[in-house]
Amino acid sequence: MIDVFVAGLRANSCTVSGPMNTDEARATVVERASAHLLVACNDDVPLPALVDGLRQRGVEVLTPGDPAWAERLADAEVGITGARLAVAQPSAIALAAAPGAPRSTSLVPSVHICVVRVDDLLPTLADAMIGVAAGEMPSALTWIGGPSRTGDLEMITTLGVHGPRAVEIVLLD
Amino acid sequence: MLQRALHNLDRRLRTAGESAAAHPDWKDRAAAIRRETLLDLDGWLDRLEHSLVARGVHVHRASTPADARRVVVELAQARGARTVVKSKSMATEEIDLGNALEDAGLTSVETDLGEYIVQLAGERPSHMITPAIHKTLPQIRDVLAKEAGTDLAVDREALTAWARDRLRGEFLRADIGITGVNFAAADTGTLVLVTNEGNGRFCTTLPRVHIAVMPVEKVIPRLADAGILLPLLTTHATGQALSNYVTMISGPRRAGEVDGPDELHVVFLDNRRRTLLGTRYEEMLACIRCGACLNVCPVYRNVSGHAYDSVYSGPMGKVLTPLLSGGTEGADLPYGSTLCHACSDACPVKIPLGDMILALRADVPDPHSGARRRRRIFWTVWARAWSTPSGYRLTTALGRVSRGRVPGLQAWTSTRELPRPARESFRDRWAKEHA
Ligand code: SF4
Repeated sequence: MIDVFVAGLRANSCTVSGPMNTDEARATVVERASAHLLVACNDDVPLPALVDGLRQRGVEVLTPGDPAWAERLADAEVGITGARLAVAQPSAIALAAAPGAPRSTSLVPSVHICVVRVDDLLPTLADAMIGVAAGEMPSALTWIGGPSRTGDLEMITTLGVHGPRAVEIVLLD
Repeated sequence: MLQRALHNLDRRLRTAGESAAAHPDWKDRAAAIRRETLLDLDGWLDRLEHSLVARGVHVHRASTPADARRVVVELAQARGARTVVKSKSMATEEIDLGNALEDAGLTSVETDLGEYIVQLAGERPSHMITPAIHKTLPQIRDVLAKEAGTDLAVDREALTAWARDRLRGEFLRADIGITGVNFAAADTGTLVLVTNEGNGRFCTTLPRVHIAVMPVEKVIPRLADAGILLPLLTTHATGQALSNYVTMISGPRRAGEVDGPDELHVVFLDNRRRTLLGTRYEEMLACIRCGACLNVCPVYRNVSGHAYDSVYSGPMGKVLTPLLSGGTEGADLPYGSTLCHACSDACPVKIPLGDMILALRADVPDPHSGARRRRRIFWTVWARAWSTPSGYRLTTALGRVSRGRVPGLQAWTSTRELPRPARESFRDRWAKEHA
């Protein structure tokens, strides 16, 4: 199931790393983000001490509780989020909006890094929707299959039209 | 151009044929869900309204396009809105909402890249899923460069980057985001929106108010049904196993959340749809607007979307346009069909489009019976002329002299190209080369 998930995401122009443990995942995310000046990070990322790790590397971190969030988000180059769940077929991750998990973290910055727990992966969308519908719905549940794309220019795919140009998934086991 | 773009699409759709949603059983399940909905459409709508209201959503019922326009314009005016960002939606095209907003003094910006290009060019979309499919890259460059006021390269990435920056500004400025709805689940009160570019997400994230225009047949009984219908829709629309972004919205922003709209309004649009219930056209309301019937239609592939002169084109447009207008619009469309039934075979929810097109010929009188008589006279004259060698030579010579510019044909040539006659006839060349 993990293989199907990873293959599907890669076919959709995502980068995928893992499955790996918490320390490795934290190191991977910090490494990836350290090339950027300002990074937005949701509270639902399942990696303890991630924000400190980023700050130690000299990266400025914007969190949803920050009063300057709305104003400064447009300057963030990377958005880091967790995921409520993921499905292997068709391959997609699902993000639930919540006070610590704004919708725009995965939308406004050019790069979206999503940390997904392997335990949250379900085989198919049809199965997943039965469970989702039975639970409490968040104000917005956003399914993401890959970077923002358009086929509007002569039906040839172009990435990054409104949302992120790159989606990087880090799998956590 | 259209041929090339459709060819690219064909290739993608063929590779998607391997996905689960292309399986016949999957179509049966989807067709069953849609028909279950239609059996008690009013009941499901009441349930949907109830669930939405319980989530703090405002529901407005509009029976005509004019009612729907009035609801949206009044909401915008009451909030002192100036700019509206729109995400591509056939429903807002159907009620011509963009123009209504502009007439009311608001700025309305289409944010789907294809739709944005078409809006800047002052045209209308030619395909449901890819509105600018009729335009080549250099043509698109010209349209965007004119808006930019500077030169832009004929380069996909560069043009996309320019549009991204320009539209970002619009999203930040906008007071209201307007979208359609792909499905609305009656049990949970959830709106399901499908996009690839992310503009739909912006429209439902940044502006303070979100208004969704929902044709009544978009209701589905259960949110779980979306697990079946979504992969089916995207597989048949663009060949993707799932579209890039699917947003499931259950009410406005909640306490403590830092983004999302404060207010969410849904406009149920009827526009004669409910009068189709119980008629032989009822199943047309099962349509999920995937565009598969357009892509396989031999007529659509040759004449492109503009030739239909209606919001909905292709086979589904031939059926829907006369039905939604009560026969006053598009009554001639059912005649522009080869009745090959390729559309019926392609339709993922098994709508018998071919049968409906044929039935409409009987049910909606052809407004062009006068034109048909003229056509008969033309063909009689033509048959006479071309049955003698001298008549043939005379008419083809006239054709060459006029270079295909035949007076009185503008109605035809404004949306189609007339074949250009060769500079020299075969007879002349033969005579010259064998002299
Ligand atoms: S009629 Fe069928 S094939 Fe055509 S757009 Fe609707 S659902 Fe798709």
